[in-house]
Amino acid sequence: MASYLVKRLLLMLLTLFGMSVLIFVMLRLVPGNIADIVFEAAGMIDDADKAQIEAELGLDQPIIVQYLQWIGGLVQGDLGFSYVSEKPTIEEIGPRIPITAKLALMALIFSIVLGLPLGVISAVRQNTKLDYALRVISLSGLSLPSFWLALLILMFCVQYFGTIPIYTRPPDTLWDELLLYSIPAAAVGFRSSALIMRLTRSSMLEVLRQDYIRTARAMGASNTSVNYYHALKNAVLPVTTIIGIEAAFLIGGLIVTETVFNIPGVARFLVEAILWRDYPIVQNLVMFIALVVVVVNFLVDLLYVVLDPRIKYAD
Amino acid sequence: MTTVDHSAELARAGANVTGWASRTLFLANRYPLGAFGAVIVILFVFAAIFADVITPVDPTSTNPAKSLMAPGGQALMGADFMGRDMYSRVVHGARISLAVGLGSTALGCLIGVIIGLASGYLLGWFDLLVQRVIDIMQALPLLVMALVMAASLGPSLENTIIAISIPLIPNVARVIRSNTLAIRELPYVEAARAQGMSEVRIAVFHVLPNTLAPLIVLATAQLGAAILTEASLSFLGLGIPEPHPSWGRMLSESAAEYVRTAPWLVIFPGLAISLVVFGTNLLGDAVRDLLDPRQRS
Amino acid sequence: MRGSYPRAVALAAIVIGSFAASSAIAQKSGGTLKISHRDTPPSVSMHEEATVSVAAPMMAVFNNLVVYDQHKPINSTETIVPELAESWSWSQDAKVLTFQLRQGVQWHDGKPFTAEDVKCTWDLLTEKSKQKFRKNPRETWYTNLKDVKVDGPHQVSFHLGRPQPGILAMLAAGYSPVYPCHVSPAQMRTKPIGTGPFKFVEFKQNEFIKLAKNPNYWKQGKPYLDAIEWTIVRSRSTRILGFVAGEFHMTFPVDITVPLLKDITSQRPQATCELQPTNVSVNLLVNRDAPPFDNAKIRRAMLLTMDRKAFIDILSEGKNDMGGALLPPPEGQWGLPPERLAKLPGYGGDMAKNRNEARKLMQEAGYGPNKRLAVKVSTRNIEVYRDPAVILIDHLKEIYIDAELDIIDTSQWYGRIARKEYAVGLNLTGSSVDEPDAYFFENYACASERNYTKYCNADLEKKMVAQSQELDVKKRQKMVWDIDEQLQLDGARPIISHGRAATCWQPEVKNVTMHRNSIYNGWRWDDIWLDK
Repeated sequence: MASYLVKRLLLMLLTLFGMSVLIFVMLRLVPGNIADIVFEAAGMIDDADKAQIEAELGLDQPIIVQYLQWIGGLVQGDLGFSYVSEKPTIEEIGPRIPITAKLALMALIFSIVLGLPLGVISAVRQNTKLDYALRVISLSGLSLPSFWLALLILMFCVQYFGTIPIYTRPPDTLWDELLLYSIPAAAVGFRSSALIMRLTRSSMLEVLRQDYIRTARAMGASNTSVNYYHALKNAVLPVTTIIGIEAAFLIGGLIVTETVFNIPGVARFLVEAILWRDYPIVQNLVMFIALVVVVVNFLVDLLYVVLDPRIKYAD
Repeated sequence: MTTVDHSAELARAGANVTGWASRTLFLANRYPLGAFGAVIVILFVFAAIFADVITPVDPTSTNPAKSLMAPGGQALMGADFMGRDMYSRVVHGARISLAVGLGSTALGCLIGVIIGLASGYLLGWFDLLVQRVIDIMQALPLLVMALVMAASLGPSLENTIIAISIPLIPNVARVIRSNTLAIRELPYVEAARAQGMSEVRIAVFHVLPNTLAPLIVLATAQLGAAILTEASLSFLGLGIPEPHPSWGRMLSESAAEYVRTAPWLVIFPGLAISLVVFGTNLLGDAVRDLLDPRQRS
Repeated sequence: MRGSYPRAVALAAIVIGSFAASSAIAQKSGGTLKISHRDTPPSVSMHEEATVSVAAPMMAVFNNLVVYDQHKPINSTETIVPELAESWSWSQDAKVLTFQLRQGVQWHDGKPFTAEDVKCTWDLLTEKSKQKFRKNPRETWYTNLKDVKVDGPHQVSFHLGRPQPGILAMLAAGYSPVYPCHVSPAQMRTKPIGTGPFKFVEFKQNEFIKLAKNPNYWKQGKPYLDAIEWTIVRSRSTRILGFVAGEFHMTFPVDITVPLLKDITSQRPQATCELQPTNVSVNLLVNRDAPPFDNAKIRRAMLLTMDRKAFIDILSEGKNDMGGALLPPPEGQWGLPPERLAKLPGYGGDMAKNRNEARKLMQEAGYGPNKRLAVKVSTRNIEVYRDPAVILIDHLKEIYIDAELDIIDTSQWYGRIARKEYAVGLNLTGSSVDEPDAYFFENYACASERNYTKYCNADLEKKMVAQSQELDVKKRQKMVWDIDEQLQLDGARPIISHGRAATCWQPEVKNVTMHRNSIYNGWRWDDIWLDK
């Protein structure tokens, strides 16, 4: 187990290193840099001033030097300064992370609370009308573009409540915050809930077919207890995996949802930073997202061991 | 191994079927939801192919007199604020959407298959390298990856297809690799090798055909995701540029502004996306049930 | 705010009431004015940016030497009033402009305002000082400004190369605040210090720009508001929903297009909405040096096939204006009068006849139904650029031109244009102050960086200088018309239309005056108040 952990950690570091190279190179392939953007609003490009800005930001240096400077800083905990706001990157990203984290967490909770029970019901009532209806609902969850859903929700809210759940200023209390994020979280979590529901259903069905369940039934365990206790316990395993994968996917979904609901989280900020060619922000943010994804996947793997003693990780 | 013999499967189900028509009917009967999905997809493919024939107006021609016209006799699905006919635009949008969906899925699968096959077959340092690159690519959400790609390539139809195909590669490569690993050790492959067949020939003629089933399952599942990603990219202004009638673009900024005065601008393209993705998902489920009995529901 | 109290009005205010006719009797103090903002500007430094995204929120932080009367909707030479300068005078030869400065004014950090600050500001703008702006978009306004001299602690003089009455108009623009000497240009980009009615509090990308009342403002008892909050909302539909839902007191300036206006007025009938010129014209850039558009016949055919009325009908339900380079009357003070405009090619007459003539020209140039010309129409990936480009392509179809839209990333646009890597470009040109000097030299002078088509006419440039020196307004107006007419006849940068859009505010916002011929000049806001 210990050597497995070490190996996993090394692989994680390797992945993160590769990601740093990938994002660094890809960003420099994006045409234009911050100097172009700065001059864009002025309606002209002044080559001398542009060169001046590039020199100030070190963009005139060889690409290898730029990379080493970034990584060197990163290792020491220095994330550099945003090109646009000229504030430390950490000050720009830091306050936005909790917003997106809360939103993602709420979406995840929503998707589990909705997806897991419906998946179980769907499996237990396999091939009934209810099952078909639930399957169609879950499939439509996978088919609706989340921004479209968000737009429809906004449309509905204005029509019937005369107000809209968009972010215009930081919420005062936790309750306000929960209320404010609940609708966007539902809009983006609907998709994940559909996925979780589908997976719960199919793993439940598989487990229900297995021998020990039959045995449990034969030994007089009630159907309900079999379904909900034995089967669900085993079906939870693959569902955990999907939750790990969905955690990463949620960030993608949040990009559009944060845009529609005007929530100042990191997901939307990333898009803006790409448009601004604000390299320090994009690079560090992408590294952060990658770190989260890698760590979540790692934790899910560990959770596997805890949930299923049959699985043992050898080296 | 996950391949399954069709006829055996059909026979086991107690059907005595010959001829494609009755087979289709049988399958439709057995997978009603899948058949429904197939009908939707076929409808959209039909719309895409015959878009010029079945629409009365050029989707890019503007007309001040029709600006924001409500759905009705003159414009089946209404008109946008430039007076462009929404019905024409939605139908022509099928072309764009399917082109991007099919194009990027095909491209992603092609590259993924080559990489996965090579990786599972060659093993060694190449495999190790591929594995790490896949790890890296999977550490970013699909949309984030596509976003950066789309920004670096610039907005155009071809670039959007490329941008969406690349994040699809790791999934395909991973599945193909694990299948290749399993198949290459099977007795008949050993036999072919013993007969002096070259490794490339073995890979192409014995291993590849046997990975087709999981590939088809994966590809149908990816199709919907690719179409949704295109819509999201276009919605964010990084996908297909005007004047191509892309559904995602139709839903972006300008349409959203008319959400109350001209809701048809939001409803029809959104319905089109949802419906076609819904169709591919239904179809994908049925295909998976058919080809991958382990996951049969 | 609940704690606000009605304010007794000094008798003097009633006298002033003749100036500010719209001001109500009982102003209330307090409250936070909430406005939606459309995007995140690169910085909040007024002098370094050329977008209303900075001009509107930041004007309240500063003062000018002189300013357009904040409650006269039409800016003109007659509406310029003193601000940090208490008075001004011209020398006999009209080449020296002297300002007497207000005393006892403090910067937001407590330092006193002096004549040195004025010199520092314009030395930066004319690039004479050691410190430099990161960029300096309005350098062209001051090409004729030779020197700013400090004559005493409270007197400065502007020394001009030649007489230029229009410089006063530019100094009165919202874009011409006085910057403090003791604060670096870099700090002015992130945490600016001004003398204005509101202090800058914070600018957070993608979130907000916040201002708070300056308690030591030199105008007694002002401002009325406690704070102003500009909330950045990228999506216009979300901004509009926010206004309709009452989240915002006011929309971003000219944010409401004509087709959207109906929606707001029906959803929020109590709101005030004013439709006005946006100061932005849609125009064509034609690369006249490269084939095929080096052929004057093709260029003229293009002018003739453009159905300006169709553009205007689609983009604004007929509300936009046809015009020449300068903002058309009645709001515009210098634009071509309608009777002269109507005589220009492509501005009137029978569209079918025009297009016949255009097709004939194309045939003479060697094109026809079986030999169509393929071109690319380049434009930026922004809706307000794309929409007219789509219409243009549709109109070009009529004269055997198959045009394809070439979307250029925002970061690449001006570079591409400057390198002339385009055939036809669809562009938007804004003008922040209704003054020919601010417009002609920037866009049409041979050497200007923003003369994108490099249309160069030495004779016409002499006329531009001549009008700039003319002191008689009526005479100057005629000269300006002649120049504008010539520009349109030459197709220097064919103007398709001048935009109109609306700004809306809730009934509780009092004393708002939108400046009709500039959206950049009316945001001092020291006497706006909230009736709550």
